Amino acid sequence: MSGVAPGVAPGTAPGIALQGVHVRLGDTDVLRDVTLSLEARTIAVVGENGSGKSTLARLLSGLVAAGDGTVRVLGLDPVRQAAELRRRVAVIFSNPDAQIVMPTVAEDVAFSLRTEKLPRAEKAERVAAALDRFGLAELADRSSHDLSGGQKQLLALCGAFVRRPDLVVADEPTAYLDARNARRVADHLLADASHRLVLVTHDLRLAQRCETAVLVQDGTVTQVGDPAQVIATYEAGIRW
Amino acid sequence: MVTLYRPGNGPWHRLPAGPKTALLLLVVLGVCLLPATWWAAAVMAAVCLACYALPGAGLRELGRQLVTVRWIVGLTLAGQLVFLGPESAAANTARVAVACALAALLALTTPATELLETIERAMQPLALLRIDPQRAALTLSVTLSTLPVLAGLARDVREAQRARGGGRSLRHFAMPFLVMALKHADQLGEALVARGVR
Ligand SMILES: Nc1ncnc2c1ncn2[C@@H]1O[C@H](COP(=O)(O)OP(=O)(O)OP(=O)(O)O)[C@@H](O)[C@H]1O
Ligand SMILES: [Mg+2]
Repeated sequence: MSGVAPGVAPGTAPGIALQGVHVRLGDTDVLRDVTLSLEARTIAVVGENGSGKSTLARLLSGLVAAGDGTVRVLGLDPVRQAAELRRRVAVIFSNPDAQIVMPTVAEDVAFSLRTEKLPRAEKAERVAAALDRFGLAELADRSSHDLSGGQKQLLALCGAFVRRPDLVVADEPTAYLDARNARRVADHLLADASHRLVLVTHDLRLAQRCETAVLVQDGTVTQVGDPAQVIATYEAGIRW
Repeated sequence: MVTLYRPGNGPWHRLPAGPKTALLLLVVLGVCLLPATWWAAAVMAAVCLACYALPGAGLRELGRQLVTVRWIVGLTLAGQLVFLGPESAAANTARVAVACALAALLALTTPATELLETIERAMQPLALLRIDPQRAALTLSVTLSTLPVLAGLARDVREAQRARGGGRSLRHFAMPFLVMALKHADQLGEALVARGVR
């Protein structure tokens, strides 16, 4: 079951392992020969525009399939064990508009639980608790599309966290947000120790807050390690 | 625009979604079967007023709903006036307006999730045709909640056009709008998959 153990102990549960992974979209090789083994709880992914970060994030969430090589996320094959992966991995995108599916705030959060076999009352309780935690309780009955960008992104987080995922994959979740909302979203993502996090971001200060960073350059992973060092390599490699 | 659920606890809100849908459908059916006469138009209007007069809905809400469908009502009225004369025009326009208003009443007083479940149940027979009722109902509700986004995209495209000094060219509007709409559909599709829809 998902989220049985609050506070996953990295090292005991399998994290992310890629072996010789290639991803081809259309007629471009978007990811080439990526080999990775990550056990840290919070992982930042940095790199230039078009380097392949989003593709890596979508690969880990089972939204694109590897053409070659093996992918293991929490010990699962994202393609062959897609249903189990869906239950345990939540995804946050940068555009909150595209993540909202139901007309009101509370219903959108409840939507995430529709496939879970839980008593109605328990679902309602979980939705209420999640809304409360993300400061959305007062907006529960508001139209979800009338929220501000920051509130929408908090709603997206809420919809992801209500499922108690073991891994959250977030692709530039703070891209459209002001400093304060970006901070709130980042705090929610980083503070909660009950899940692992893969965070794609251009905000290098945010990347610093992760335990490990991955540098993606031109479709392949060129460095993994301490965020400060990875960021230094990244910045040194930029030809201005 | 799409009417949205407004929380409340009047009789319409307390009535379970299934019976409420059935009841309102019956009323609409009745309204459709009435002849096109002055008194029938008056009865339709009275029924509609009575439905909205209950606490939790309100006549002001009825006004708002009629304003939203003013174009449909206006077009119907104009067309009928030209071809059928005043009596039929009044009755048929009242029919259309009442049907819209009662559909809105359902949406206004029923949370989307409950409405969704009702639609799902009502579509059960579709399973015989190998259509998954759950999917069909989901498609419907996602479509409804996507409309505001599309409206927003359309506004953005128009504004960008105006900012660049463009006129009101349909061609210059359609291309970027289509691209953005398709991109939105793509992203929404991924988000749905990520949120557990298969
Ligand atoms: N569906 C697709 N079909 C063809 N090529 C694609 C597709 N999606 C992405 N690409 C290409 O793959 C490359 C990597 O894209 P990706 O979105 O992963 O980059 P990114 O690192 O996330 O960039 P950014 O920082 O701008 O978000 C780009 O060159 C892009 O043009
Ligand atoms: Mg990207």
